[in-house]
Amino acid sequence: MTTVEKHEGVWVFSESPTVARELLSKGRELSGKLGTHLAAIAVGEDVSETSKDLIAFGADKVYTVQNPSLKTFQVHPYTDALGAMMQDYRPDVVLVGATRSGLELAARLAERLKTGCCTECSKLDVDAEKKHVVVDRLILGGNITETLIVRSKPQIFTLPKGVIQPLSKDPGRTGEIVKVQPKTGESPVKVLERKPKQFAGVRITDAEAIVSFGRGLKKKEDIPIIEELAKTMNGVVGCSRPIAEDLKWLPVDQYVGLSGQKVAPKLYIACGISGQIQHITGIQNARVVVSVNTDSKAPIFEYTDYGVVGDLYKVIPALTEAFRQLSSRGK
Amino acid sequence: MTNVIVLAKQVFYTQDLRIDRTTKKLKTEGVARVISESDKNAIEEAVRLKEKHGGKITVLTLGPPEAKEALREAIAMGADEGYMLVGPEFENSDAHATAVALAAGIKKIGQFDMILCGETSEDQYSFQVGPRTAENLNLPQITYAVKVTLQDTKVAVERNLEDCYETVESTLPAFITVSREINEPRLPTLMAIMAASKKPMTAWTANDIGLKPSELGREGSLTEPLRSAVATGERKRVIIEGEPNETAQKLVTTLIAEGVVKVA
Repeated sequence: MTTVEKHEGVWVFSESPTVARELLSKGRELSGKLGTHLAAIAVGEDVSETSKDLIAFGADKVYTVQNPSLKTFQVHPYTDALGAMMQDYRPDVVLVGATRSGLELAARLAERLKTGCCTECSKLDVDAEKKHVVVDRLILGGNITETLIVRSKPQIFTLPKGVIQPLSKDPGRTGEIVKVQPKTGESPVKVLERKPKQFAGVRITDAEAIVSFGRGLKKKEDIPIIEELAKTMNGVVGCSRPIAEDLKWLPVDQYVGLSGQKVAPKLYIACGISGQIQHITGIQNARVVVSVNTDSKAPIFEYTDYGVVGDLYKVIPALTEAFRQLSSRGK
Repeated sequence: MTNVIVLAKQVFYTQDLRIDRTTKKLKTEGVARVISESDKNAIEEAVRLKEKHGGKITVLTLGPPEAKEALREAIAMGADEGYMLVGPEFENSDAHATAVALAAGIKKIGQFDMILCGETSEDQYSFQVGPRTAENLNLPQITYAVKVTLQDTKVAVERNLEDCYETVESTLPAFITVSREINEPRLPTLMAIMAASKKPMTAWTANDIGLKPSELGREGSLTEPLRSAVATGERKRVIIEGEPNETAQKLVTTLIAEGVVKVA
């Protein structure tokens, strides 16, 4: 695709303020390498606070769409608004947070603009010579990393949440605010009800420590062994896909993997998990991975920082005790 | 009476895919080709709607000649007829080119009240083809469905989002992508599988759906793969040995040194 007018600037959008800050951090890096500005989009009923926040976290410019009917995310009017703005202002690169809403928006928006999009990018960089973005993403169950580019403009990418460290807030930063009023249609899909999900404690995607178990745990009644360790570390319990989907011992929201939760804790402890690539893909952003498995040939050890070949029924209680002593010693 | 078109993709059974450790290549021989999981849920949902409200289920797939098996399986599950977009011109289509082809195929099939497909495919995991196809058909898009209820000319759908379950309503026709939680797909009986061979299946080329080869495949794609490689983890792979208590102590010390455990 060739376009006559020039596309310029890196834009970021997420309906989630925390994800928007993460995108700004990556956006700063990309806009620096591309030698262009970084802009964010703020959409909602009252966007003045959001705009200030976006500038403090790195935006040079904020395009604001103040419209009471856009108070909460809805894919149709948001596609209308963002699509119209992008046709007018022609960004070069657009980063969207890969929340479930962000993903459906990115795809519909890309088709509206007849441009390419790469979702769930694990790596994003700039080809300095060609001045375009090059990304890596996992395909075929996490077995293969594909490196690709978007040939059209804007180049749209979605980034997983919780992986990028936001820049530190600089309340003194200044930036330009551009008020826009793109035309939006009425949504053909009406929201009737929202039932918040109940989460006991910290959500797995926000957790700093996760203790996960797989088929190595023999029965449901043994889950407290895992819970105890998680508790002593202020962590959260997770599991592999068969535990949630086949055995239904834990809710599906709690299984870690490519098709489940993609997590980014500081510490991930895998207990009795064989290490299907599907699971490994869900923990690629964990800082340190520890695994405990009786089978020294289990694939999980290939993707582990510190492995223990042993029986989880012996190792995990010992580890729980060691952590307990640690915290009581500190008191 | 509700006429449903289901989009289904045939993929390698990803859980059986392995990397050959010596050649560092993906091993696909002997790996079964199956209907991508959430697409299977979409077929099941269509069959359940038909059981309740009547109507016709048409399955559309884009893929290699082997994808005929996917159509047969869908029919054995309860679909009425199958169409496949097949030919070299469709090969290497990205999400955009695929959505263009599927939209053209849907238009050629004609009459429908609802389109169902999985929220994402097991092999590409892009979450794009559904919304892109919906955009090309200018249809209301409802993603991540866990419950679909028909009410005359409207459909109510419960959606699974990160923080909440959202119930939405749309007029028909609508484009719905489903999550795996929506249902448990049935296993077709042997009788049904045998009977499926007799049901109508039609293959279409690009020409049949009014598209030029330049709109499809690599040429029609808007993304370009540069290279692919075996995904490698960059982990330390240190094995800690000893008796459980000893191992536990060593681990704790190591994890403190790594800075991933807070010392109270």
